[in-house]
Amino acid sequence: MPERDSKNQLRARDFWASLLLIGLSIFFLWKTTSIPLFGGNRAGVSGADWYNSAAIVPFGIFGGMLVLSVVLLVIAIRSGGAKIAFSATGIGWNPDEAFRFTSVGIIIFFYVTGLVPRVDFILNSGLLITSLIFGFYGGYRWRAFLAAAMVALPGLYALIAHLPQSEWGALDDDWVTLGFWVGLTVVVIFKSKTERVCRAIPVIAVLIPVILVIAMAFGFRQNVPARTGLLFKQIEYHYYVTLRPLWRD
Amino acid sequence: MDFILSQFTGFGSAFAALILDPLTYLYLISSVFLGITFGALPGLTATLAVTILTGFFGNKIPLDYSLIALLGAYVGAIYGGSYPSILLNIPGTAASAATAMDGYPLAKAGRGGEALGLTTTASFIGTLIGTFALLVFVGVLLMISKNIASPEKALLALFGILLSGTLMSEDLVIKGWIAGLIGLAMAMVGLDPLLSEPRYTFGWSYLLSGFQVVPVLMGAFAVPQIIDGLRHAKAGKMVALQGRIMPNIAAIKRYLPTIGRSGLIGTGVGALPGVGEDVAGWVSYGVGKTVSKDGANFGKGSLEGLLSSETANNACIGGALIPLLVLGIPGSPPAAALMGAFMINNVVPGPTIDPNIILRIAAILVLASLTMFLMGLFTARIFISILKIPRTVFLPVVMVLTTIGSFSVGGGINDLYLMLGVGFVAYFMNMLKFPIAPLVIGVILGGLFDETFRRTLLISDGDLAAFVTRPGAAILLGLNIALILSQFPLTKRLFSRLLRRSN
Repeated sequence: MPERDSKNQLRARDFWASLLLIGLSIFFLWKTTSIPLFGGNRAGVSGADWYNSAAIVPFGIFGGMLVLSVVLLVIAIRSGGAKIAFSATGIGWNPDEAFRFTSVGIIIFFYVTGLVPRVDFILNSGLLITSLIFGFYGGYRWRAFLAAAMVALPGLYALIAHLPQSEWGALDDDWVTLGFWVGLTVVVIFKSKTERVCRAIPVIAVLIPVILVIAMAFGFRQNVPARTGLLFKQIEYHYYVTLRPLWRD
Repeated sequence: MDFILSQFTGFGSAFAALILDPLTYLYLISSVFLGITFGALPGLTATLAVTILTGFFGNKIPLDYSLIALLGAYVGAIYGGSYPSILLNIPGTAASAATAMDGYPLAKAGRGGEALGLTTTASFIGTLIGTFALLVFVGVLLMISKNIASPEKALLALFGILLSGTLMSEDLVIKGWIAGLIGLAMAMVGLDPLLSEPRYTFGWSYLLSGFQVVPVLMGAFAVPQIIDGLRHAKAGKMVALQGRIMPNIAAIKRYLPTIGRSGLIGTGVGALPGVGEDVAGWVSYGVGKTVSKDGANFGKGSLEGLLSSETANNACIGGALIPLLVLGIPGSPPAAALMGAFMINNVVPGPTIDPNIILRIAAILVLASLTMFLMGLFTARIFISILKIPRTVFLPVVMVLTTIGSFSVGGGINDLYLMLGVGFVAYFMNMLKFPIAPLVIGVILGGLFDETFRRTLLISDGDLAAFVTRPGAAILLGLNIALILSQFPLTKRLFSRLLRRSN
């Protein structure tokens, strides 16, 4: 893209960004008014003077942000950003890029919010690695779509079936995730006849999470997500019951 | 003089203790190797290397060893960026962007081996120059910093955020300042440091303790890189490495003045709060182009050009640690990640820091640079083969590393939600050309600014003159105002008119 066009596009985006920032600044300025400023009274205890109030610095920050956002808005308007702000070219709408971002975003979102808290870490990380490498290597749209679906579906299931923390120990979502992982791996193995990278995917997807979890839990003795997960529960049991006595005794 | 002698004696003891401990070598070799690998892979940065290792080693092993791991990765990653710059014309890290200008033409001319060998040597000497400055100046500055009180601390924190915003913006400076303010705003979340008044928690008890540094770092530096990097990219055409990597002593002697000058520039730029290795590389490259007899050949395959940027970016490491250790203000984005490691170990960098930690850091830097030098000379071919790995293969692994690292630091699942939120915001900020470094510096320094600013007002009964009556504070206030005014179009026009007149 010519430099001039990309500059115009940037100013159009600045126009929207400054409006968003103005909105956020005003919201947080309003929110700051709930913090006592002039010696307010909290639960019968008199607050501090204005200069020691917990609101004084936030007022300065959000006030400063409001001023700078207005300046950014003025710059964007003067540079012609407002004129092209409503056009697709002005915003820089690119369907391919939007699709790519959405697919990556969906995968990461469901991995972090749905799978990591509820499903065995080896299973969900194996699925994530398989999906991301297979989905985005080579730049095929159908593969990115398949990858996003393969993470989103078990993630959504885990979220819907076991939303409250008290249910995070359930194992059905682990089996569902394992099923999706195996299914995707079959597709990957099928593709590995023509693509060398696909041969490495299952190896990376199994080895990396296993090594990481074992190093974290038994090397660094740290907490790992979903300790009651399908595989980790077995690993932990055999580490303490079968293996550890070998060198402890 | 006595002071400098005592510093070097202390450094000697710390160095001896390090080399006598066999575990040192385990952490050192693995972290420098990891660092060079991170630097060499385009799409991964030095900041990311230090951030991810902070998640892993930050509070899980004794601080002494975690410092070896983090500093080893830092030194290795800054140097590792030179591999793709020279062989692929793609900077591995932002710090080595200037290196590609001359490195790639040299490799195309069949002098890739010579360029890599000299780069390795220059990076080694550069790190030593930065470390020497760290040893000498930190002690002196620590003595001065004992007189620094709340007004100076508040103004220094503000200066760090403003300077970082000014120098790290690739588009409008105002975007850097806004990013800094967003960081400061994020630091306001949780119980306030003086009255324990809850702010912006929205009823979520996790937020009462404020935003944790490690998830913010992971979100700000790792998640956007992963989202942005997961796209099909044709592998760059690698120039075949020709010539021997082992540097020629005569060539090193010839370029020693360039290396020395660039080392000093890199250290100086690094010592500025919040300004990173990329700025150091470009400033040194620019100065080299102006003062060197070979300046006309810069950009066409000049060894002086190559060494100007490569020495400076490694010398910047020692410089960046000066404000971090003396004032608690990170000198560069990787130093901000290092500060995260200090914070989760309950070590408060600043005037009250244990001087032995500083001596140990200097000893680690020397050992790390030596390890990097030896690895660069004898295992370069391994790192060259790593360049062939597509980013769509290693970025998913980075995502898993980031997730487990962020989770295990302490906050559990909530830290992951925070990382995700910050990550998406940082991605859009990157897209809109808002720099991320000032945001992170803002998050780290926000608490200090809030506390010291209000303490100043509390002690002076609300008298704002407290920021002017102390000489140090007055100078810092002047610097802050000058920095802001220097970006006004009117001031810029006035300055250029004055310059024209004086010419």
